[in-house]
Amino acid sequence: MNGLAESGALYDRLIVDRARTPLYAGQLEQADVQGEGKNPLCGDKTRVALQMADTHISQIRHQTRGCAICLAAADLMAERLTGLTVPQALDLSHRFFAMLVAEPASALNANTDTPALGPLEAFAPLRAHRARIRCAELPWVALKEALSHVDV
Amino acid sequence: MTSVTTQEKARQTLDVAAIRQQFPILSQKVHDRPLVFLDSAASAQKPEAVIEAMARTMRCQYANIHRGLYWMSERTTEAYEAVRDQVARFLNAPSREEIVFTRNSTEAINLVAHSFGSLLKPGQAVVISEMEHHANLIPWQMLRDRAGIELRVAPITDAGDIDLDALKDLLADGKVALVAVTHMSNVLGTVTPAKVIADMAHAAGAQVLFDGSQSVVHRKTDVQALGADFYTFTGHKLYGPTGIGVLWARKELLEAMPPFLGGGDMISTVSFEKSTWANVPHKFEAGTPAIIETIGLGAAISWVEEIGFEAIAAHEAALTAYALTRLADVPGLKIVGQPKERGGVISFVMDDVHPHDIATLLDRNGIAVRAGHHCAEPLMRRLGLTATARASFGIYTLPEEIDTLADTLVRIRNFFV
Repeated sequence: MNGLAESGALYDRLIVDRARTPLYAGQLEQADVQGEGKNPLCGDKTRVALQMADTHISQIRHQTRGCAICLAAADLMAERLTGLTVPQALDLSHRFFAMLVAEPASALNANTDTPALGPLEAFAPLRAHRARIRCAELPWVALKEALSHVDV
Repeated sequence: MTSVTTQEKARQTLDVAAIRQQFPILSQKVHDRPLVFLDSAASAQKPEAVIEAMARTMRCQYANIHRGLYWMSERTTEAYEAVRDQVARFLNAPSREEIVFTRNSTEAINLVAHSFGSLLKPGQAVVISEMEHHANLIPWQMLRDRAGIELRVAPITDAGDIDLDALKDLLADGKVALVAVTHMSNVLGTVTPAKVIADMAHAAGAQVLFDGSQSVVHRKTDVQALGADFYTFTGHKLYGPTGIGVLWARKELLEAMPPFLGGGDMISTVSFEKSTWANVPHKFEAGTPAIIETIGLGAAISWVEEIGFEAIAAHEAALTAYALTRLADVPGLKIVGQPKERGGVISFVMDDVHPHDIATLLDRNGIAVRAGHHCAEPLMRRLGLTATARASFGIYTLPEEIDTLADTLVRIRNFFV
């Protein structure tokens, strides 16, 4: 896609693929906790459902109506968080937000137990698109609400 | 081929190349691409004549107005008040005293909702339409909640026109005091049949307000011929500066209405016990106004009138027709609304590509469009959409820019699908 793809560096192939064919979209029959994120500016909406196994997140599904960034962010978040503990998920959430606003990692008291961002790094170019950061944050807002319902 | 003919037509009606040279910003590059500015409906760019008039005021002839007893203040007052005459002619208002300067169209509508609204009694109603900008919705909702009036909403047809039969029904019980509707939709481009609506409102004993923010830019406005009672517009969409808008209202209405904001300049006499108000329009202009911006608006109106609405309207009609044919050829693109009469505003959606992704990728290619709900959430709901992308045209828009838009949209579509 020559010029357009280059100029759209924001749209990593992974983001476009996941927006088109999400792997974690849908509902959970037996969700333990749920959360919702809404962006009043654009009407985008995402609902995140979690199933817990002891202290770990065993399954995540999302129902997202939004742009490619928002959809892919929800899907890759679900992928990355599956199998993590609640504190690990929250740590990762902080690191994800920090990446979007380009805070130096040292300022974050990086916990060595925190899992790497991995594929979530695909969203790093959003730094240069401040107006779109909210799109990638939305699923994490929903996640935070869901996790607030987990009894620890 | 039809599209070539329309493109030729769009080129011939106006010397756009010469006009573009008067807009310094249009030679800017964005992301290393020439700027293609297709968001004039949100706010238009400013010609040198406006920039210069404002700068000259600040450089050479500036002081506060209406109170200084010295040369500089008198000259500035004259320049400011001359714009009132100019706006009166621009709208074909019967009297300069019917022109109230506000901050923008939103403030003008709020003024009416507050001051005219305070004359309404519980049981009376205000009618708006389903396609109003929030600026012509929220002030009436606030009035409803404050004064216990009823807010009625005239539906639109699927094509995007106000449903006049339904409007007639809403007026039937004679309780409606005001019909407040847009003169041109910022989302659908619909030009509303203002005269017909005014006649219907008057027959039912109601006054009528038109939000002319979009409309005044594209065609000659004659508030008397329209049969309007209130008319509002804003400077920054008319190639003028931000911070200056206009309320026109029939004098007897303005005289019956209590003030909106209180302060200096709007009074006749003041004591701690009681104060009296200045005559209209000054009763509605409290505090030091946007002097420089008002002078900028005057320069913008002169500039637009020099080009002439006949040429502007022909240019924009040809451009819009051309854009409609070019966009229709983009796979998966759907134009939102097919109103009977349309100004230079086209909203669209694409299968499988969100409007925000469209706008971001267009921007990476130097093309500025608006995406979102366009401050018209209830309209979006009515259309079954959460957002659209919108291209809007101005005096300086070239047919080649529409080609760039259409070609880039095809590439965006291929990128995502």
